[in-house]
Amino acid sequence: MLSRVAASFYWLSRYIERSDGILRMLKINYASSQDTIQEFTWEPVVRIFAGLDDEEAQTLENDTRAVLKYMVTGKTNPNSILNIITHARENARSVQEHITKDLWQCLNEYYHAVKDSRLERALQREDPIGILDVLIKQVMLYYGTVEITMERGEGRSFMNIGKYLERAIQSVDILDMKFVSINDNPDLLTDTSYWKHLLLSLGGYELYLKTYREGFEAENVLEQVVLNNDFPRSVIYSVNNIQRYFDRLKNDNNLENFREMSFQIGRLQSRIKYNSVRSIRQEGLHTFLTQIRGELYGIGNAMNEYYFANS
Amino acid sequence: MEESAYFNKYNPINGVWDEMYGENSNVRDHYRKVIDYISRESADDLNKKEDLAKRLFMSQGITFTVYNSGEGIEKIFPFDIIPRIITAQEWAFVERGIKQRLTALNLFLKDVYSNQFIIKDGIIPIEVIYSCPHFLREMYNLQVPHDIYIHISGIDLIRDYDGTFYVLEDNLRTPSGVSYMLENREITKRLFPDLLPQCGVRSVTEYPSILYKNLLALSPRQIHNPTIVLLSPGIYNSAYFEHTTLARLMGVELVEGRDLVVNNHKVYMKTTTGLQQVDVIYRRVDDDYLDPLVFNPSSMLGVAGIMGAYRKGNVAIVNAIGNGVADDKAVYAYVPDMIKYYLNEEPILKNVPTYQLGNRDEREHVFGNINKMVVKRTNGSGGYGMLMGHASTEQEIEDYKQEIIKNPRDFIAQPTINLSAAPCYMQGELTPRRIDLRPYALFGPSGIEIVPGGLTRVALKEGSLVVNSSQGGGSKDTWVLA
Repeated sequence: MLSRVAASFYWLSRYIERSDGILRMLKINYASSQDTIQEFTWEPVVRIFAGLDDEEAQTLENDTRAVLKYMVTGKTNPNSILNIITHARENARSVQEHITKDLWQCLNEYYHAVKDSRLERALQREDPIGILDVLIKQVMLYYGTVEITMERGEGRSFMNIGKYLERAIQSVDILDMKFVSINDNPDLLTDTSYWKHLLLSLGGYELYLKTYREGFEAENVLEQVVLNNDFPRSVIYSVNNIQRYFDRLKNDNNLENFREMSFQIGRLQSRIKYNSVRSIRQEGLHTFLTQIRGELYGIGNAMNEYYFANS
Repeated sequence: MEESAYFNKYNPINGVWDEMYGENSNVRDHYRKVIDYISRESADDLNKKEDLAKRLFMSQGITFTVYNSGEGIEKIFPFDIIPRIITAQEWAFVERGIKQRLTALNLFLKDVYSNQFIIKDGIIPIEVIYSCPHFLREMYNLQVPHDIYIHISGIDLIRDYDGTFYVLEDNLRTPSGVSYMLENREITKRLFPDLLPQCGVRSVTEYPSILYKNLLALSPRQIHNPTIVLLSPGIYNSAYFEHTTLARLMGVELVEGRDLVVNNHKVYMKTTTGLQQVDVIYRRVDDDYLDPLVFNPSSMLGVAGIMGAYRKGNVAIVNAIGNGVADDKAVYAYVPDMIKYYLNEEPILKNVPTYQLGNRDEREHVFGNINKMVVKRTNGSGGYGMLMGHASTEQEIEDYKQEIIKNPRDFIAQPTINLSAAPCYMQGELTPRRIDLRPYALFGPSGIEIVPGGLTRVALKEGSLVVNSSQGGGSKDTWVLA
């Protein structure tokens, strides 16, 4: 497979996964903003997901509709859904003959749905949950189409590596964002709805209820999001999948690069796997998450160097 | 005879050949089934079909992007839902004519890049060839596989007031539009269920497989699985959709210049598992941009050293480089002479009479009759830089004349030909619009094959004679009847 094509697959997939994460996070945060008597702040959201500095974030933080506009259709926000899906589609366009026609059409429809001028208007006036749901459905349609129509070859391995890498980074980011807020406001530690919204935005609420009977505890949330092998958005689940799909790229012509990367992924996997909530606590959650994030970025850079460098 | 409401309101243009409207104010036989079919539909139904066509083009991404104030806007090429129909008899004539013409043009390219008998025998003046910017000395004595230069061509045909076919242009470099031939047919299948088989319309779907077969046959390495690629300028090219469609339909790799590298006179593509040798390149990058070492040094779209690999015979390039000398508008005038010279045959398809403005007498004649003339640049395309004498102001004509006098070799003039008209569906009724026809011919080691169909372009503006998509043109599905 052409290096450029592999890179496009990987980025297409990362962008779509990112859009999914952002949409779900927006939806839950919006719901949460309707469910509180204090003034709801979007500050952590725009800081982490749009990379705004404190000053810029402050101008937006209490204006829900402005945040939604900025995060979904904002042209100046590099991580707005509009810009993300435009990038995803450009990547797909450049590998159009490698993806199925169904998948291309599906991405196209997603793109046109976000581009539609009615969307921006509706986002300002109508129920945001309904609108975010329409877009979330487009992502689900994408995943279904990939599952049903895409060949199980090298291209899909690159897609999956991109997808799980992005997902792991997102879970780490969301977790970090929530736990950092606690440092500023320790009352949140015992705030049930705070944890409930964190789990909802990762789609892990039902699983949590089934696993833990004693209500919402920070440590349990941490355990599920980092260490639970059965939770599809946990960090360990994502890293296991990165490894699984990376193994499929093994090829005699590229053995040296393969070993190099395999080592990096394995190291990260062990780092998470042979850890417990208690040891993470001891180490300090923020330090732990910062390190994991660093390792994940490292894997992304290595992919670039060893597999896409040609492009 | 009773006709439909749509037909009764139809006003053919005076003095213009109408594809549907025959003598005695009747529907021509080959259009009858289509007219019957649509007369059973209300205007509302047809409007819905028009909308459906638009949506299908949009959702399939059959679009081009217009960049405006930094923002990309997706546009579709306008599509008219009423097909253009060609009878079996007309097609047989066109097919024979194109095969003859291409055979002669291909011999011309072989000759002009080797012995140049046609110049020595005084058939074409030497200055016409050597002043052509697309005549590439780099191609001189370069052996191309099977002596084929024009693997893929699109010959533009028009019909005068009496229905006679004329060749307007030979497109022998990287003709585009074939994906519209294929996609328009797919859309028609959706718009008019059952109509295609009822009318006995010949299929166009063989095009990619014939092209693939021809590309395969050109591989310099005799191996069972040569690497064939389609070289595209990239996603910002307006024909990118076509590149991906063809690559997908043939199952070949779509590459950009940055994916390829030349080493030791062989071309390789960069893959995730190292370099892989490339045997055949169907390139959609112009000659000028193909090799920065030989042609335009600032080109980012090409591959450094590819010309060397080509000269060595290590890679086949389709179409051959330097074909522009054969579809130059000044050389065009000599094509009938070429046919007589190389084949000893009378030309089947006529040329539009062409005046060389480099020639003083002809220039005077053109200037004297400029209202009846179309003046074109010899190296222009896309309908840009043309002067339509009958539709221009005095000032425009005067300015254009000044341009001509600066560089007369760069211009030709032709009498205004009345393009034929075909019915288009517009605002609830049928109305005539001017059309042309571009069939696509594939020239392989086993001969020339022309898929029964082509691209019918239509000038959607009332009264307009310019069918180019860049000038408000659209397209129609093109039916060839069995």
